[in-house]
Amino acid sequence: MAARIADEGSGGGTHTLGLLYPPAGRNRDYTTMQLAFVGGVAEAAAAHGYDLLLSPGDRRDDPSFLRMIRDRRVDGVIVMEIRREDDRVERLAAEGFPFVAIGRNHHTGSSGWVDLDFAGLAGACVQHLADLGHTRIAFVNRSEQLFHSGYGFARLGDEGYTEGMKKLLLTPRAYLCGDDLASGEQVVERILLDDPMTSSLVTLNEAALEGVYRGLTRHGRSVPRDFSVVGVAASPWAEQVTPALTAAEIPAKEMTRVAVDLMLRRLRSPDSPPRHVLLKPLITLRASTGRCRPAPGSEPETDFPDFPDFGMNV
Amino acid sequence: MATYDQGDGHRRWSAEVATVTVGLDGIVTGWSEGARRLLGHRAPDVVGRAAADLLLGREVPQAAGLALTGSQEWSGTAALRHRDGHRVEVTLHAHPSLGGDGTPQAFVVAVTTPISGSRHDRTMVEWAFAQASIALSAHSTASRSWHLNAAAERGEQVFGAGGEQPGAAPADEDFLRCVRRVAEEAIPMRYERAAPEPSSAPAPARRQAWIIELWPVRDPATGEVVGVGTAAFDSSDQHSARQRLALLQEAGTSIGTTLNVTRTAKELAVLAVPRLADFASVDLLDSVLRGEEPVAGPVEANVVLRRVAHRSATRGDVVPDAAVDLGGIDDYPPFSPPARCLTGGRPVLSGADDPDFARWIAGRVSRTTAVETYGIHSVIATPLRARGITLGVAVFVRTEGSPPFEQDDLILAEELAGRAAVGVDNARRYTRERTNALTLQRSLLPRDLPKQAAVEVAYRYLPAGRGAGVGGDWFDVVPLSGTRVALVVGDVVGHGIHASATMGRLRTAVRTLADVDLPPDELLTHLDDLVIHLTSDDDTVDGRIREDSGEIGATCLYAVYDPVSRVCTVASAGHVPPAVLLPDGTVSVVRLTPGPLLGVGGLPFESTELELPEGSLLAFFTDGLIEARDRDVGLGLERLCEALAAPVPSLDVTCDTILKALLPESPADDVALLLARTRALHADQVAAWSLPSDPAIVADARAQASRQLTAWGLEDAAFVTELVVSELVTNAIRYGAVPIGLRLIRDRTLICEVSDASNTAPHLRRARTYDEGGRGLHMVAQLTQGWGTRQTPVGKTIWAEQTLPAG
Repeated sequence: MAARIADEGSGGGTHTLGLLYPPAGRNRDYTTMQLAFVGGVAEAAAAHGYDLLLSPGDRRDDPSFLRMIRDRRVDGVIVMEIRREDDRVERLAAEGFPFVAIGRNHHTGSSGWVDLDFAGLAGACVQHLADLGHTRIAFVNRSEQLFHSGYGFARLGDEGYTEGMKKLLLTPRAYLCGDDLASGEQVVERILLDDPMTSSLVTLNEAALEGVYRGLTRHGRSVPRDFSVVGVAASPWAEQVTPALTAAEIPAKEMTRVAVDLMLRRLRSPDSPPRHVLLKPLITLRASTGRCRPAPGSEPETDFPDFPDFGMNV
Repeated sequence: MATYDQGDGHRRWSAEVATVTVGLDGIVTGWSEGARRLLGHRAPDVVGRAAADLLLGREVPQAAGLALTGSQEWSGTAALRHRDGHRVEVTLHAHPSLGGDGTPQAFVVAVTTPISGSRHDRTMVEWAFAQASIALSAHSTASRSWHLNAAAERGEQVFGAGGEQPGAAPADEDFLRCVRRVAEEAIPMRYERAAPEPSSAPAPARRQAWIIELWPVRDPATGEVVGVGTAAFDSSDQHSARQRLALLQEAGTSIGTTLNVTRTAKELAVLAVPRLADFASVDLLDSVLRGEEPVAGPVEANVVLRRVAHRSATRGDVVPDAAVDLGGIDDYPPFSPPARCLTGGRPVLSGADDPDFARWIAGRVSRTTAVETYGIHSVIATPLRARGITLGVAVFVRTEGSPPFEQDDLILAEELAGRAAVGVDNARRYTRERTNALTLQRSLLPRDLPKQAAVEVAYRYLPAGRGAGVGGDWFDVVPLSGTRVALVVGDVVGHGIHASATMGRLRTAVRTLADVDLPPDELLTHLDDLVIHLTSDDDTVDGRIREDSGEIGATCLYAVYDPVSRVCTVASAGHVPPAVLLPDGTVSVVRLTPGPLLGVGGLPFESTELELPEGSLLAFFTDGLIEARDRDVGLGLERLCEALAAPVPSLDVTCDTILKALLPESPADDVALLLARTRALHADQVAAWSLPSDPAIVADARAQASRQLTAWGLEDAAFVTELVVSELVTNAIRYGAVPIGLRLIRDRTLICEVSDASNTAPHLRRARTYDEGGRGLHMVAQLTQGWGTRQTPVGKTIWAEQTLPAG
């Protein structure tokens, strides 16, 4: 079968790629991030002369997924948003159907994948804050449900954070947080209740970010003067909030481009070992992190006067 | 007999008449006072004696009048004896005095001066009056009639238009008033009178003038004033001499009132027309107008001159059909009067009868036309010379209806031209001084501000108005690394070359210090040191100069604007704070710690940080803008803020609006104004990343930079950028301290910056052959357009700049 596909790959085949992505979420809306991935894949495929067949299926028995595989309507499949246990991936792997995963789990080893190094990024965020002098660093993860349902990055992020903190001999404090504004506010409440001296946090939860800001403001912590926030977020999101979030990019374009590259490579030479690409973008400096300043009243006053009044006579 | 009675004090031209009455018997019965005066006998001595006794010698048959032989009138001559014995020749008229019956009762004998010449003399005197060469007249108070002699009648203007008819009253009211006064107060007076200016002729025609002597005429007998006598003398020469003097006197005050060459020339033309000429023109050598030193001594023939002023009696300053337009240039052939006067260095009188004049006029149609249209017949060309230098030429012209110029006019013209020349020369020298100082100032001020993207700027420098000269105000815009920009404005106290020179030194110093990329407060501290050194240098050069140079009083405001952070950091050394207009329309004066003046030393300068929204408008200025005699600084600032907030299409227009709103016509102090509208660099132009201090990150950083360049479409720059990033990041990790940051800025150039928390600046080392390190910065220097380092509040930044590929 593999040989046949190779022939097709060189001789023409369907010249169509399939993209599997989960159906729309709660509000029957796709997130900007998801759309960016879909667009990125379509663009990269088109650049190589391939069409794209879309299938919003998140289970192995999804009819559109089945049609795509059974009828061989596509040369290969790119799978998005894979869970730790993902029967779509299992089925593809079992059938030996050429696929590339955006994200990874223990089944993707036989195939090619591209993923963000969430553990590394969380570690880098911790490192960045530590470089700025912060020692009390909290971690705001995604929702409990997501954490347990097995989206890999939530766990990976948690691991990376904990490891980073331990390496620096700091006490990790990780919190799960719902993907909404109110949860963001609540998590800040909890963090500051647990340790009022907390001066910074790392977040993977961009959906709760505005709530986090709001909670900090409510507690009289202004970002980045009194409190630093660093995260992993797609750039439009990070730039839209005020102050703009210092964050590691989720490079949707880059990831989709790599995914399509891996796919094509696989189609051209099916026997070559699968390639795995783990991206670890740098933390883009924006406006939400600053040097650690002791919380007011927590330490004896230094000789330095308080921040100068930026006296605009308006 | 004509006598002159000294005691009476009046001339009397009446004959002496003596009356005597004689009875029929020849005995004197009455003796008049006149008889006493004539013969010396008093009445008591004579009355009762025979009249014949008075005769000198009794033989006289002719003296029959005294023989009294009938009743007829009789007259004849006789010789009488005066009381003192001398002989008195008299004419006797005997009139019989008849009684009621027609018979003579007595005789009245009138004894008159006997001389036959008396009547003749009197007539002669009348003739003398009538034919006198000076205009004489007599006015009878009683009849109000005038008697003029021939000269007075001929020169009818002497006593006014009405004087031509004897007996008619003169027209001149002033004169009549004077006559009445003479008659009433009985005092002699002098009246001066000039012929009325002819209204038709535009000419400065030589006006006639007279001096009229008036005196009261008394009746000698009564002493009563019965009339007024006048005698008029032609004083035209005196009058015109006086007019010339007055003109010269006026020249002293009205020519050279300003230190402006053109204005001075215009003043000469205005003064000369129409009092000296119908048309006057002033032409100067071009070099004079530029304030340069003209050639000393006479100018070469065939001169080229520029028309600076002209004026016509009929059309004023606007003379469209003049041969040369205002500001136009013309060349004069060597034989033309202007060229001749320049060559000779003396005024030239010329006119229609001068063949050279005719030749000159014929040489150009415009000249021929002008001469024909206006009937130009007389011309004076006089050189404008002052302090041995010829500056130009003034030409005076008389046209139809005016008399030709005379020799006296030539002297006057020369004199006027001399005055004007001194004025022009003063103005020229002043212009030169001022031009020099201004040139110096301009050469020290930025001509074209450097191109930079951080702010949009507009600026104005205005030297002080008249007198004060240029000052030491200055401003500057210095591009700094990382697309930041320094905005500087300063003021050196005082005026003139010295202030300008000091300003130049300070400006250079600021540029140098800015290039080192010092923060504002530190920069001012260094500048302060420099000023202290300059002052002490000046002191040691020459004790006498100290008076002039003294302490250098200087202020300076130094601001650095960073378009990435949109933060403007300002420090002031005693300078007025800037004003800022925010995009929302609020306008205010920035509150700064003013800091001490430069050169005081020892006191700290403080920086103030302002975070400005994109599109804020900063106004930097010197105190000349807001200070004025008629208002205080606060009001000036208020007005500035108002003007700044007014909506205008461009920065340049805002500059003009502000200057117009705040400055008088001629500001007392010089003024510098610098406006800067801030720009901001957005995410599509700036990318910054945080880097852990881990050598493994170098590759990631390189890859990230490369990806960013791809996103910007700058793949061509990727190779060099990756090298630079590798080198700088490696250095930061190896020698620097956390946090380490990498920043790419895409602006006019591509800037790559790596910052870390260590203050140790790198050195450009020369690597030896087997050295492992030390090559990196050399490579960076070779590959990029420039590199450098700057201190930041928490460490240092090393930057390298590459030119962007065109387009």
